[in-house]
Amino acid sequence: MPIDRRLLLYINWPLFGLAVILFLVGVLNLYSASGTRLEEGMNMAPFYHRQLLWGLMGMVGMVVFMLFDYRHLKTLAWPLFWTTVILLVAVFFMGKTIYGARRWLDLGFMNFQPSELAKIAILIVGARILSKEREPLNFIRLAYVLGVGLVLAGLIIKQPDLGSGLSILMILGGMTLFRGVTPRVFKTCLFIIPCLLPLSWFFLHDYQKQRIMTFLDPTTDPLGAGYHIIQSEIAIGSGGFWGKGFLEGTQSQLRFLPERHTDFAVAVLGEEWGFVGTMALLTLFCVFLYQMVVIARDARGLFGSYLAAGVFFYFFWQILINTGMVLGLMPVVGIPLPFISYGGSATLVNFCLVGLVLNVSMRRFMFKQS
Amino acid sequence: MSDLYNESEQQAPRSGLVLLQALILGLFCLFAIRLWYLQIHRGEDYKIQALENQLRQESIPSPRGLIRDRNGDLLAVNEPAYALGIIREDCPDVDRLVHQIATWTGKDYFELKTLYNKNRKRVKPFEPLIIVPDLTFAQLAVVETNKLRWPGLEIQFRPRRLYRYGTLLAHVIGYVAEADEEDMGKRPELALGDYVGKQGIELMLEDRMRGAKGLTQYQVDVNGRRLKERVLKHPQAGHEISLSIDLGLQQLCMDWLSEEAGGVAVMDADTGQLWALATAPSYDSNDFSSGLSSKQWAKLRDNPLHPMQNRVIQSVYPPGSIFKHVVAGAGLHYDMLDPNETVFCSGSMKLGRRVFRCWKHWGHGKVDLNRALVESCDVYFYKLGKKLTVDRMSEFAHAVGFGHKTGIRLPHEKAGNIPTREWKLKRFGESWQGGDNLNMSIGQGFTLVTPLQVVRFFAGVINGGRLLKPLLLKDENPVVQSRIPLDDARLELLHKALVDTVEDRHGTCRRIRTKGVVVGGKTGTAQVVRLTDELKELKDDEIPYRFRDHAWMAATAEKDGKRFAIACLVEHGLHGGSGSGPIVKAVIDYLFNGKVTPKPEERKAKARAVRALSLKHKEKPRAN
Repeated sequence: MPIDRRLLLYINWPLFGLAVILFLVGVLNLYSASGTRLEEGMNMAPFYHRQLLWGLMGMVGMVVFMLFDYRHLKTLAWPLFWTTVILLVAVFFMGKTIYGARRWLDLGFMNFQPSELAKIAILIVGARILSKEREPLNFIRLAYVLGVGLVLAGLIIKQPDLGSGLSILMILGGMTLFRGVTPRVFKTCLFIIPCLLPLSWFFLHDYQKQRIMTFLDPTTDPLGAGYHIIQSEIAIGSGGFWGKGFLEGTQSQLRFLPERHTDFAVAVLGEEWGFVGTMALLTLFCVFLYQMVVIARDARGLFGSYLAAGVFFYFFWQILINTGMVLGLMPVVGIPLPFISYGGSATLVNFCLVGLVLNVSMRRFMFKQS
Repeated sequence: MSDLYNESEQQAPRSGLVLLQALILGLFCLFAIRLWYLQIHRGEDYKIQALENQLRQESIPSPRGLIRDRNGDLLAVNEPAYALGIIREDCPDVDRLVHQIATWTGKDYFELKTLYNKNRKRVKPFEPLIIVPDLTFAQLAVVETNKLRWPGLEIQFRPRRLYRYGTLLAHVIGYVAEADEEDMGKRPELALGDYVGKQGIELMLEDRMRGAKGLTQYQVDVNGRRLKERVLKHPQAGHEISLSIDLGLQQLCMDWLSEEAGGVAVMDADTGQLWALATAPSYDSNDFSSGLSSKQWAKLRDNPLHPMQNRVIQSVYPPGSIFKHVVAGAGLHYDMLDPNETVFCSGSMKLGRRVFRCWKHWGHGKVDLNRALVESCDVYFYKLGKKLTVDRMSEFAHAVGFGHKTGIRLPHEKAGNIPTREWKLKRFGESWQGGDNLNMSIGQGFTLVTPLQVVRFFAGVINGGRLLKPLLLKDENPVVQSRIPLDDARLELLHKALVDTVEDRHGTCRRIRTKGVVVGGKTGTAQVVRLTDELKELKDDEIPYRFRDHAWMAATAEKDGKRFAIACLVEHGLHGGSGSGPIVKAVIDYLFNGKVTPKPEERKAKARAVRALSLKHKEKPRAN
């Protein structure tokens, strides 16, 4: 299929640019988080070039996700869903156990996490189901949607990987809210969900309970889980208005900050670039998210809108939870910050999803092809 | 299929779009406020906390108390040593650093890595894990020049123990070594790599000599390099110790014992302080404090002469004839002996069907107590022993300190053995025989004593009956543990017999006579095995080393109010007079005349020859 020149024109270039800029900020920040300064130059732990490599792969993936017409995904939705279910079941039988959790499939050249695929699958299946009609969801429709989400989420939580499982439900939940529910459903949910939340306490592991307790009072465990929160707040707070300067952060360079290249990467940025830097990053993320709203609004057809909304929530939840955790507003959960935290497959998926949204944006004026 | 693409141009729900925009706005406001609070409002507080984070604390080792001899000569000192450690948090690649350390020091990588893994849990964050406790100066120079290229590498200065006379006093001073799990469990103030007393005085006076560690605080840069340093608590040096040992005398004794196995104890009879506590063969304390290799340890452990054994307090021997003074004391105490009454010695005595011989085949003729002690007549004591029986001999021997530990401040002391009827029944399942009384009366059989118990008893004989606790520190006051239950007149009988043994024409200790000094002595021969007739026929030199008797001599010496007791035992030295006598004579000459008599070359050569012979036969000498 020859590429129509108009397609290039309609690409949401701001979103494209923001994704690349965020990624570069992340790499720069990783450089600081992984370097140990020596007499003759820098000694680098190998995170940041690996991140660059994954980023390049991600950009290729992004372009691939832009090449085809996204509407083909509508037909692929259910096959993709069942493939994911099969892979998730396969993990139980031949998965690789790392750190006591069975989450990986060994592909020989790399370890593959089917739960990542599940996040893409839920986007597409969710968009397919929700875009069928326009009316707000009633109870029966809502139950159907939730049932589809629970199949995937349940299998993932069983691994155990509570974080990924919940994010599946949260993406789907967000898309549902985007579609809207009937006032009756809304009122019922408003009543039932707060009642169900305390019950979930009994299903949590001890370490998860402890994290919540530590969040409520970090001083109870100043050298364990509370240590992360305390040191992270010190790092960000000590950055002040202008920050300590690139590579000058004492908290991060002196290695007080744990997980400084993954979950707490933004703390390094906060320490070295100060309030100016963190506000700039926050603004970048907000504009990045806003571009997706624009794409959802302008998309031709509901399927595209729901895809964009799904991707919006995919990023929104991660930004909210990760930054909230680093700023001491939420318990410590292992959720990375898109583009800023180190993580190979996450970077790849992030770029692919941005590609998917760009795909929606560039085909917004396409007329029906005969 | 086609209807999939055939959508009406429906617009996204308005409410949904509003929701998404509201979420973005909420996200922005929430985090902006929080960031303002953390970075602007409380920024200064956090800056201070971050600064405090750059401060690290480290303990400063305290110098261990020095050890001197009674004249102030230094025996144990501290010398600077350098240890190599890894600060895990500063180290980007521990494996490579351990590899590099292995290259620098020539140690095995896997050994170092095992050590690292074993100890990593014991080290607090940002504290160095000591991986090489002792760098040579050449290694130090190499490491120091390369240090900047290896973040996380830490060179630590700390004092190391040096024993200036390592082999001379190994059994008294003992040694220090790196604290192990057990030590650290017992003493929480000990950290990995600290030295702790493991043997001897170093162990017994650990708390007095260790001192208290200091604490220093320093600021670090991004590589963990120290910037500013401030001492929070100065270390407190351990107390200095002055031993009662006289270095010159100890040297003399060790010289005389060289190439032989045995022990010498010299006690100040008035205070109980030991001026010499020599035991041979010995080992070098420095080998232990610098970390004994398994090869060195195997060599020490498998040495048939057991150099680790302190023969003065840990080896027990039959006392032989020197026990006759104890038996005589028992006779006097229980009033079963008239010192003037004579006994006829024909050279042997019959008990039942057994014949007990005197060492002098043709007999001593008529002997009273003094003569019997001076000439060491066995028959006299056979008769006395028969009268006293084991019960009284054993009771009196216990009363004068045999069969108990003396309480000297050294670990692993042995109590020896004074037999009783019950003991023999329990031990061998046999009842006490009449012949056992006779054997016991001349110090053979089941009686076992340490040289230290012997020297304490003979010190008691000349100091008015006080049994003193053997002391090793110069500033310790005399401790009277008990008294010999004899009045002065009776004690004097024993003392006179000792002096006559040296002065009399027929005395067995004539070779230790010293001009101007009142010297008393008693020889003893401790049988190692009952000599068979075949062995009896042999000349001394032809008896195999391990069958030769142990040579005892106990002596007292007095001049100008200075009183000493000396006990000397030479394993397989054959005869008390010739085996131990010259050593005792050299000690007396040193104590009263300041004369140092070196061991004659002839005796050294003889000892060497015997040793060579015994090793060739692969015979194991008896060691208790």
